[in-house]
Amino acid sequence: MKAWIAILNVGVLLGVPVGASEDKVAPLGTYKASERNYWAFQPRKNATPPTFIEPGDKAWVSTPVDGFILATLKKVGLRPSPPADKTTLIRRVTYDLHGLPPTPEEIDAFLHDPSPKAYEHLVDRLLASPRYGEQWGRHWLDVVRFAESDGYEYDTHRPDAYRFRDYVVQSFNEDKPYTQFVKEQLAGDEMDSSNETNLVASGFNRLGPLRKNAGNQNVASSRNEVLTEMTNIVGAAFLGVTVGCARCHDHKFDPFRQSDYYRMQGFFAQAQPNDLLRATKEEQDAWHATVDPLQQQMRQLQMKMRRAPEEEKGKLQVELDAIDEKMPLPLTAIYAVKDTPKEATPIHTLFHGDYLDPRESVGARPLGVLLPDNTPEEAIITATPRLNLANWIVNPDHPLTARVMVNRIWQYHFGRGIVSTANDFGRMGGRPSHPELLDYLANLYVANGWRMKPLHRMILLSSAYRQASESPMEKIAMEKDAENSLLWKFSKRRLEAEEIRDSMLAISGKLNPKIGGPSVLVPIDRDLVKMLKRPQYWVATKDKSAYDRRTMYLIYKRNLQLPFMGVFDAPDMQLSCPRREQSAHALQALELLNGQMSNELAAVFAERLQKERPANPARLDLAWRLATGRAPTTKEKLLASQYLAEKPGDPVRWKELALDLYNLNAFLYVN
Amino acid sequence: MMAEQQARAASSLNPLAPKPPHMPEHAQAKSMIFLFMAGGPSHLETFDPKPLLNKLDGQKRPAEFGDVQYQNVNSQSRILGTKRTFRKCGKSGIEISDLFPYQAEVADELCVIRSMYGDMVVHSAAQYQMMTGRIIPGFPAMGSWIVYGLGSEAENLPAYVVMPDSHGAQEAGVPMYTNGFLPSVYQPTMFRPGNKPVLNLDLPKGLTLEERRRSISLLKDLNKATMVGEDPEFAARMAAYDTAFKMQTEAPKVFDLNTESKETLDMYGVGDPKTDDYGRRCLMARRMVENGVRFVCVVSGGGGPEAEWDAHSDIEDNHLRMASWTDRPVAALIKDLKRRGLLDSTIVLWGGEFGRSPESEKGKGRDHHNTGFSMWVAGGGFKGGTVYGATDAIGLKAIEKPVHFRDLHTTILYQLGLNQDALSYMHLGRKERLTEVRGEVITDLVSLRTP
Repeated sequence: MKAWIAILNVGVLLGVPVGASEDKVAPLGTYKASERNYWAFQPRKNATPPTFIEPGDKAWVSTPVDGFILATLKKVGLRPSPPADKTTLIRRVTYDLHGLPPTPEEIDAFLHDPSPKAYEHLVDRLLASPRYGEQWGRHWLDVVRFAESDGYEYDTHRPDAYRFRDYVVQSFNEDKPYTQFVKEQLAGDEMDSSNETNLVASGFNRLGPLRKNAGNQNVASSRNEVLTEMTNIVGAAFLGVTVGCARCHDHKFDPFRQSDYYRMQGFFAQAQPNDLLRATKEEQDAWHATVDPLQQQMRQLQMKMRRAPEEEKGKLQVELDAIDEKMPLPLTAIYAVKDTPKEATPIHTLFHGDYLDPRESVGARPLGVLLPDNTPEEAIITATPRLNLANWIVNPDHPLTARVMVNRIWQYHFGRGIVSTANDFGRMGGRPSHPELLDYLANLYVANGWRMKPLHRMILLSSAYRQASESPMEKIAMEKDAENSLLWKFSKRRLEAEEIRDSMLAISGKLNPKIGGPSVLVPIDRDLVKMLKRPQYWVATKDKSAYDRRTMYLIYKRNLQLPFMGVFDAPDMQLSCPRREQSAHALQALELLNGQMSNELAAVFAERLQKERPANPARLDLAWRLATGRAPTTKEKLLASQYLAEKPGDPVRWKELALDLYNLNAFLYVN
Repeated sequence: MMAEQQARAASSLNPLAPKPPHMPEHAQAKSMIFLFMAGGPSHLETFDPKPLLNKLDGQKRPAEFGDVQYQNVNSQSRILGTKRTFRKCGKSGIEISDLFPYQAEVADELCVIRSMYGDMVVHSAAQYQMMTGRIIPGFPAMGSWIVYGLGSEAENLPAYVVMPDSHGAQEAGVPMYTNGFLPSVYQPTMFRPGNKPVLNLDLPKGLTLEERRRSISLLKDLNKATMVGEDPEFAARMAAYDTAFKMQTEAPKVFDLNTESKETLDMYGVGDPKTDDYGRRCLMARRMVENGVRFVCVVSGGGGPEAEWDAHSDIEDNHLRMASWTDRPVAALIKDLKRRGLLDSTIVLWGGEFGRSPESEKGKGRDHHNTGFSMWVAGGGFKGGTVYGATDAIGLKAIEKPVHFRDLHTTILYQLGLNQDALSYMHLGRKERLTEVRGEVITDLVSLRTP
């Protein structure tokens, strides 16, 4: 069988799984050839990029990517679109890598760069900027459902969750090998518990929503939910399969047995939260000075309540709640995990996923369909269970890992993956539009040490990426491939919620460029805060200049999405989000036309224009170059001038024009 | 691929355009109002009389009733009798407690389900299940599903409206009302208190409508100036600006309750400090439905046990208060819909995420209780004047014809002409629907239409 199987270190077996002596043990299982032969479970093929004879075709191939794209297009009688102009291209690639518009100076520098390598230099400059890590880290945060509160009724804040966000941004900026990135997140604590970066990364295992309840804590039920979150995200994020579907029953479409699911869960049986305090001595003292007396009062009340007659308990509870509300935020900490063998949860298959109905006992083992039949499982208690799982995932020959990540990268560049369902390579997901290209890129990714930047380069320098977003053969092409899955043009895209806000800030000149650090709470409408069960958590950040920071640094709270984010399809971070929707509807128009933020920023934008360009044609020119990356067309200039001339000198007209620019298709879309 | 169909649907010119139901032959209702009694109203004090409770008052639960899981009630807890009296109401003789004298007047419109049950005994998870079919957040609410299935007939209004209680939030928070993974066009519009319930419908301060009309016409001209050929996505975006502008000018007329007669305002209890708030919102709900809004949720309860139906410490005090705020408006809504001929096409659902325990908590209160409780449905082809299912003699468990949330969801969809399997959306490799486990259409709850 395949070499990577050896990675599953069966030598670490430390005896029987917890509780197994009395329990029925789930069979290790066998898989039919038809189940194993599914394309995504097969080893990657060694594909060679197609070559061409016709000079036109030859000339079009800039990087190996293009050979695959062109060959497929030719097969169905389509041609790629002509190259996009330089103005379009710099805006496209800048948004792609930074999530921000290029400045007029950057545009000019690129347009006037005579070097045949001007575009290549541009790509390299963008990849080297820390803005790259912000934008691409943000994509990863969608996949791993990063948020800064627990969700559910208390929606308690996780004030130090930002460390994980910073870790992700930093990892992308360093171009950390994906193998290391996966291992640190799954098992950083097991690799080296003295390394702060590793500990922060291991907080990955705690990113999911967390239910805490008043009254009798149902420990078993809560633990089951925690384990479910830990397990499901591995399938979705790293393996790109919906293994979570097998929690209640064998997967209906893919060869994942229920026992496979719980064996995956077995790797997490020992994992427990581990908050490592990072507060200074003074901070700790001050915190205790507030909290200790409160806790003392609560303990006394609880004692009293135990002895109190039933009628008085209600009143005591109200007093208790009142004290609870005075509790300050927890001390600054790293949210890590650690293995606690003594507290290991025995893992069973659960009938219909019900924790009250455990059936067969299981140990830890990766997905059976990717192992030889009857591969033994590990015990629940091993020295490094999650690292064992991570090592299996990042084995160079793993059929899913590299394909899944390469596909994500492709998707964020082109708006659509080679497999259109980035979290689902199973039977219910999409089939690859270019299977050979997918394998080619995955092989290259592995060969380059699992680094992303060489892959970005190869994609960004391709002719396929540099095509115009309009095709001369649009009509025919639409009939053959309406989704543009074959890439006969570049698919234009609407900016994402964060990109819209960041761009509005950037072009008005107000963007605070600070990178990293704790999240910002902006002041928001009181009615919104009222929709929180614990409104007291929403305390606006004192430093007002922080309100103009990039959107990714605004707190991502599970129970309170900023309205602007919600209408522009930002995910709610309750579940993994592999790809964002791009809807267009009236609530978006209302937000951008009448919303407080867009109107305030329009006024700032108008002011900037007036300050920087005293005279009118030049002012319009700058306005368009900032908002759309190009000069206004004659028609646009005429329309805007007429509009302004109707009420000469009226500042309202300039503000409204600035607002129109925020609403303009040429601003909201990237061609 | 299904995912591609979805994408196409989302980018069509108007994603909220009305869509025909899957089963037009069964579609009796067009819209729905959910009167959400947050916190869990007691079935034992409202629609499910249990004389045995008063006999067992102060005793431990007899063993023959079995065991259920509670949040706070434990093996030491004692049965709590009720101070409420029940009487047979209307022609149908449905028993309703003296807590609801107004709802008693519309008894013949109510289809009371006494055998509801859910899976969770804590607020957040139970609320998620009631609203979204799942005990975890992240899934679309029934309002989003229904709008996804049927589109909207309200051009100038949001398709799906939630009117929160101004006392504060519920445990499951906003995520229980939201669109989950469905495109954001299916999100709820959360109304705010007062005359201007929709955010961003007002022009920025100091700007005239004339001025704004001009800037929007400039925006359209600018967009057209650079549009190449036909572009469905850009066309949809421009259409959205037209809709937005129309909403801005037309919707405030619908929000203005001053056009209602004094008789109507009185009926809803508008002006009476106790009922004014819920009365206004119920009246607004009628106006929404009248104008084609698909789904309205009118929340009663929020901010904490005292202002929710969450009667942990004193069932009498709590429920008398909550009833005094809501009973009259709830009954008025039914009467008003009926006399305007809207009740037949509007499903009105009343209830919360669970009921309350037969045992006392803290002496006079009742704990959460998910294994048997009451909800009622009126209109939309549901059989008025009926009682369906039963709990045991102390109201502990639904023992006769139990109805899970998923069955209620399925039956509601059915009355709207929607099929629970066809109303699906591909998400993370799974064809998701409102019901996690397939629900049953409870045909006994509805007057079946003879085609």
